[in-house]
Amino acid sequence: MNPYFDRKGFLALTGATSLAAFLAACGGSSSTEAQSAAGSTGASGSKPAAPSFDPASEPDGTIDVFTWAGYDDSPVPDGAPWMWSQYQQGSYGSKSPLKFTFLDDDTTALSKVASGYSPDIIHPCGGYIRKWQEAGLIQALDTTLLPDWAGIPESLKEPGLIDGLYYHLPFDVGFTALTYDADAVDFSAVGGEETWKILLDDRYRGKMSIFRGPDEVIEIAHLANETSDPINLTIEQIAAAKATALKIKDNLRNYWSSQTDTVNDFINGNLLVTATWPDGYWKIKNHPKMKGRNIKYMQPVEGRLAWVCGMVLSAATERPGRSLLAMASTNTPQAGADLTDNFQYASAQKEGVSALIKDKSLIEAFGLNDPKLWEPPMAWSQSQVTPYKEYIAAGSEVIDA
Amino acid sequence: MAAAEPPLKRSRRETRNDGGSALSTYGLLAPTLLVLAAFFLLPLYYIFMFSVALRRFSPTEALASLNGELSGFTGELWSKLLGVGVTVKVPGLDVDVPLLLVAIVFVVLLVLAVTGSKLKDYGSWVVGVAFALLLVPFLTFPAGNNLVRVMELTSDGQYVRLFFKSVTMAMTSSVAAVLIAIPVAYFLAFCVERSKYTWLLIVIAPFLTSYLLRVFAWKVILGDQGLINSGLMAIGLVDQENPLTFLIYSQFTVIVVLTYAWVPFICLPIFLSFQTIDRRLLEAAMDLGATRMQAFRKISLPIIAPGIVAAFLFVFIPSIGEYITPTLVGGVNGTMYGQSLATQFVGGAFNWQFGSVMALFLLGVVLLLTFATSRFLRAGGGGI
Repeated sequence: MNPYFDRKGFLALTGATSLAAFLAACGGSSSTEAQSAAGSTGASGSKPAAPSFDPASEPDGTIDVFTWAGYDDSPVPDGAPWMWSQYQQGSYGSKSPLKFTFLDDDTTALSKVASGYSPDIIHPCGGYIRKWQEAGLIQALDTTLLPDWAGIPESLKEPGLIDGLYYHLPFDVGFTALTYDADAVDFSAVGGEETWKILLDDRYRGKMSIFRGPDEVIEIAHLANETSDPINLTIEQIAAAKATALKIKDNLRNYWSSQTDTVNDFINGNLLVTATWPDGYWKIKNHPKMKGRNIKYMQPVEGRLAWVCGMVLSAATERPGRSLLAMASTNTPQAGADLTDNFQYASAQKEGVSALIKDKSLIEAFGLNDPKLWEPPMAWSQSQVTPYKEYIAAGSEVIDA
Repeated sequence: MAAAEPPLKRSRRETRNDGGSALSTYGLLAPTLLVLAAFFLLPLYYIFMFSVALRRFSPTEALASLNGELSGFTGELWSKLLGVGVTVKVPGLDVDVPLLLVAIVFVVLLVLAVTGSKLKDYGSWVVGVAFALLLVPFLTFPAGNNLVRVMELTSDGQYVRLFFKSVTMAMTSSVAAVLIAIPVAYFLAFCVERSKYTWLLIVIAPFLTSYLLRVFAWKVILGDQGLINSGLMAIGLVDQENPLTFLIYSQFTVIVVLTYAWVPFICLPIFLSFQTIDRRLLEAAMDLGATRMQAFRKISLPIIAPGIVAAFLFVFIPSIGEYITPTLVGGVNGTMYGQSLATQFVGGAFNWQFGSVMALFLLGVVLLLTFATSRFLRAGGGGI
């Protein structure tokens, strides 16, 4: 026998492979149709009643979780299993295996799921929940299956409350604010107080960075302009923010896409000021290279930006009840305390969490027991920006300029 | 033996063989055509259909809903992309011209560059000037903390401006990569004999590691306290307080990283071109009194020209739509067209229709360039 495929064999193999690929593609498209059908049901106009799920009657199978890196079932840095462990131990009377896939950012995740990927649980942030709902990709929650639901304040549930139904189980809450080296940065040229206007101070040109998000670029520029809610702006305010954002851009080193990158840039001396989430600030402050440096997390006079992320239930899931029980295990006080200890974020769950947090200094550092720090004018919640298209167009023009 | 066979028999066999070989040629082409259909024509068809009728061709209702009520062919999207003015900047002078005129001038220059050598008189001059005029507006050179230009094209339109910037970055890195690869390939082809393939392996060794890892390595080398800055600080050429900041997060960084990434890859086609040179031609040139440089210019260079053009296109085509390199090391001014295109699909704009229009425009430019230079790419054809 020849050691290689002769012409006949080669063509036969190619034909068989093509046929297999064609059949697989046909199979794939039928599942897409199923997903579309589920999606359009969710998007229908009539006001649906609060759903009721029965986990016991649902089919067995793996629950697919689409979440941010670090929020899977691998042990947290201190070695303990965490947010999903209650469910995996069977505490809620159901125990499906969990599979984790990581998302990069809100908009990419939304595009991916809208294009046909259908996990059971997704972990988006407050700014995009309406988009998920409008696209018919998620379904309302049966909150009776969430034993710790009452421990979440109404203000955090609000971004996920649409037409009287809850679509979002808030989990992690945090700020977006400037981390800066207080030994090197002074505010005398911009009024003497901590302010977003520092981004306009060209003494620090090339030493500052913010997140590469078209909406956030406009929100930050608006706060440098005036102290008011940066999420709902008029066309004139967006135009003014865009002009300021272009000036800010002149002073920036880069727009970061990964927080790890900007943390490394700060630690390696490329930056003096950068927008981070609480964990980014904490990593910079506690890095050995930053020893002896006065690293601060800015509380600007115009207010910080604040976000709330959490779990939503896919409209296409075959196991809504079981998935919701898995989500319930992320809502326990212990999961909330682990979140703060390991990622320095605040927990959406407020009942009994403070007592369980091991590193009490975090409570002080991020104002976890001070609700005023999380409300206007101290912080502005990043729910969906309005008008959305105008925000994105203005922000993209600034980034592309 | 064939010579002893009767003529009739031989002719019948030839006829049968001809039919069989035609069939087998198509048969062997089938997998290629299948791949082309599956991985190029089908996606291209969908991109085209997205660009003219999004809702009907959306794979899911959810996507159609996110993108809004766009359907049917709309010239608006094309005019949003291309209905803009262009400014040609040369030192001391800014001239505003319509985009269409710029496009026509470039097509004419491209035709002259490709066909000019057929002119009886001044053929090589025409080719040289046309190539220079094609390259000059898109080349940039680092000088101090800035990049300097002889000529620059910019636009009041967001996307065309970004497109020109991307062409500049891709063009500069392609030219740099080719200029670096030629001596390396020459060295491999002529200067080493027995260990030739060991050297080749060393040249392509960077491919053994992940591209991302290599980009991150550049961040360590080019950072404010990176290898280059701290080295220059140690010998006193750079002040501790004022490191060379253009090294990282700039257009310069993107150009350096793209050049670095492609040099090993394009060494191969240029090396193969050098391999095809009949050494007796070079020996004859030397016997007739040519210097090594003259022999290179008059004999080697025309023979390797197709390899150089192919190598240039290998770098230029993927670079012009780059996304990941400018995202990682680009900084605020190193944004490229590919990133803006991605924003339409996954970056929050949710405008697949406009994204498809942007993609088709990029494809058109690349196809034009490929067709124009295809004469150089034919086996054994072309030459300057």
